[in-house]
Amino acid sequence: MEPDIDCTGLLCPEPVIRTKSRLEKGPDPFTVLVDNETARDNVTRFAKTMGCEVGVEATGGGWLVSVTPSPAGGTVVQAAPEGEGPSARQTVFLLTGDEIGRGEPELGRTLMKMFLFAAAESDSPPATLILMNSGVRLVTENEETAASVKRLEQAGTEVLVCGTCLDYYGLKEALKAGTVSNIYEIQGKLIGASLLVSL
Amino acid sequence: MSEDIKLTSFARMAGCAAKLGPAHLDEVLGRLPEEKAPQLLSSIHSGEDAGLYLLQDDLVLVQTVDFFPPIVDDPYTFGQIAAANALSDIYAMNAKPLTAMNLAAFPCGLDKCHLEAILLGGYDKVHEAGAIVIGGHTIEDDEPKYGLAVLGTAKVDEITTLRGALAGDALILTKPIGTGIMTTAHKAGMAGEAIDVVIESMRELNAASASTISSRDVHAMTDVTGFGLARHLYDMMKASGVAAELWAKEVPLFPEVLAMLGLGMAARSSVYESLSEGKVEVDTGGVDELLVQCMFDPQTSGGLLAAVPPEQADEIVAALQAGPALQAAVVGRVYASDLAKVTIKHSKEG
Repeated sequence: MEPDIDCTGLLCPEPVIRTKSRLEKGPDPFTVLVDNETARDNVTRFAKTMGCEVGVEATGGGWLVSVTPSPAGGTVVQAAPEGEGPSARQTVFLLTGDEIGRGEPELGRTLMKMFLFAAAESDSPPATLILMNSGVRLVTENEETAASVKRLEQAGTEVLVCGTCLDYYGLKEALKAGTVSNIYEIQGKLIGASLLVSL
Repeated sequence: MSEDIKLTSFARMAGCAAKLGPAHLDEVLGRLPEEKAPQLLSSIHSGEDAGLYLLQDDLVLVQTVDFFPPIVDDPYTFGQIAAANALSDIYAMNAKPLTAMNLAAFPCGLDKCHLEAILLGGYDKVHEAGAIVIGGHTIEDDEPKYGLAVLGTAKVDEITTLRGALAGDALILTKPIGTGIMTTAHKAGMAGEAIDVVIESMRELNAASASTISSRDVHAMTDVTGFGLARHLYDMMKASGVAAELWAKEVPLFPEVLAMLGLGMAARSSVYESLSEGKVEVDTGGVDELLVQCMFDPQTSGGLLAAVPPEQADEIVAALQAGPALQAAVVGRVYASDLAKVTIKHSKEG
């Protein structure tokens, strides 16, 4: 069978760039032929990060990587623990600040603290929590909210913290929970969300 | 400058990722005759950073060469990085660079002003190091390449090599890891501004860090380059006849490195080679797969890796952080073992 994308002779990052542009065209499954281990691992890792199902099959001189995009487009389903409803799996919380709503900052911060505490207590935590702009304070400077987020992580929520934002506020060293992420990964999660909760 | 140029578009592989893998190199070198001369103090089989030749009484000639395809788009910056990288081997041995010679390859169709800019970057870096450029050689090639052969000297009793690490030593790293991943991401147009601090780090000389470390009782030292941190550490352990724990969580990483790795931006999967040979192993307690990959990321102009007495480690790290190496850290420890190996642990505690 002819591969959909033939990356024979191509070195990284080219095979990933081609996989990425194919993925952006639509949700149809496709195959990528690679001839070196680095390309095999990179294409596999990229597709998994983008929420695709990935299969690798050795061929004569290389590997055929088959990529099946998730119906929603981008959520990492595997991040959710077993036994949860499908809706909870693709729920994404997006927090772009360290307060909820506009008004008195003190009230906004208290609401945020309560919200995260309640989320950590909940039986169905979100699949993904994304923290951007001053939202990164919630897992760095603010000990109380960081503790709630940490509990969410332990419950299986994937916590993505905007790296550019951490750098901007000089908070990278202070990260207490979550994984440093970037705009590509975050965009993939937002597009793939079946339910997006933005506060 | 005649026009903007995207130098990396001419490169097949980025920087030190272009280096031939250690297994392939060992195979070839193993078949070559071994040089034996009374003045020769180093061996190509030990993985030493530079060649050492005893010139007279206590004066040693330290000689090294390094070159690679572009890892950044700006020619002048590429020249600076290539020179800092070539000079690094001299500093890793606690020697002083004296002279350098350019090695360059350049496509005939490309405007020569870019070659000039590359060489100028190299000149400026060599001068910053207190050395001079005394010649060079340029060939035509579709893929540009640049580097230098550097000559330095050192007092025989002041040289630092891969040998000498003792059980109990603390392992200090002076620069963050991730240049291979980040330059690959940069080539893919995905790194954004996160590449800036990586470039700053790559063009930074290891001179001040080397003198800071060498002014204390350093036992062994090397620089982290194309084989990646774990493998360079293994070479040090093998030469010293000991073993080491490498604490993955303690290793400083450049911003966005893990995210870029998750997006398939590994420069080279050489992890499995070293793992399957038993030279490096991953702790049974489990270490994040992406962190393990970082321990093998090929570095261009990486930091120094030094084995120092444990009681001096904090003081040395503080001195490094106060000056030449803001992100210097203790990343592991040496222990006694009949079998040289490196064990990657999640953290100091396990």
